[in-house]
Amino acid sequence: MGYRQDATELGDARRRVEALVSGMPGESAPFEQPWELRAFAMAVAAYHAGQYEWSEFQLSLIDSIKRWEADDGGEPWSYYEHWLTALETVLAGNGALSDADLDDATKAVLATPPDKGHHEAHREPVAIDPAR
Amino acid sequence: MTVHIRTQEEIAARVKALEAIMIEKGIMTTAAIDRLAEIYENEVGPQLGAAVVAKAWTDPEFKARLVANATAACAEMGIGGLQGEDMVVVENTDSVHNVITCTLCSCYPWPVLGLPPNWYKGPEYRSRIVREPRKVLREDFGFDVPDSVEVRVWDSSSEMRYWVLPARPAGTEGLDEKALAALVTRDSMIGTGAPKAP
Repeated sequence: MGYRQDATELGDARRRVEALVSGMPGESAPFEQPWELRAFAMAVAAYHAGQYEWSEFQLSLIDSIKRWEADDGGEPWSYYEHWLTALETVLAGNGALSDADLDDATKAVLATPPDKGHHEAHREPVAIDPAR
Repeated sequence: MTVHIRTQEEIAARVKALEAIMIEKGIMTTAAIDRLAEIYENEVGPQLGAAVVAKAWTDPEFKARLVANATAACAEMGIGGLQGEDMVVVENTDSVHNVITCTLCSCYPWPVLGLPPNWYKGPEYRSRIVREPRKVLREDFGFDVPDSVEVRVWDSSSEMRYWVLPARPAGTEGLDEKALAALVTRDSMIGTGAPKAP
């Protein structure tokens, strides 16, 4: 889980780092992946847009975590995956989102990565504006 | 829902697709998402709670109001917002040490502490801090609570979010609010640590 490495040098090191950073604003970033921050902000944005009560979102989040806990030894723990599931569930519940639409849009995103071709060396100028 | 364990790439794509759908439907804008991401990543954090604690340490009347109604007292300082609607401050004393958790998910007083650290949201802390709080504080946080002090663990929910008012450290008599606030750590307001020594 990455959180409990106690009684070892690693545990001591972790505690020292925690002690150093635990007072700083913005420390020990709560987000490990860019998508986590994006999913977080979208849930708050949808709430501000009146899509649901915050308590509905929280109940949905609790449900998703409970299902994970009941499914012993299943998927690895990822807090923001539960967050995303909760967001999808409440948006689908009030008709703002269809699971099929989201599946299709996801496939489309995966099929067209924004950096397609970036693994190839581009050895010539991408554009030339000739001298006049 | 997909049945296989999704890769980071797949999840990132799903989030991106969700954002595109939300924007297309006019439910939110990219600018609004960007702004919220900026606020919660960089602006809301434990420095706000630290200012509240420092004020409580120096102003007994404010402290009384904070303990009576934390949300209202924080509002006096212009601090409040989502997940800060029903905050309760629990005060550490010579005989009681308080710790917060959320056994069901991750309820946490965002306006004063920012977003919770990863371990706070994890299943291990949430279950163990309830079963063996003194041991978890000692082993996982290097924080020893004397046997003479009672440990109370408070379970936050969407109805009520707790946070800890740590005791003012000894030797800080001459310090002003700003200097005091610099001693207040995030963990001291969760209850998994003490304020820094002056």
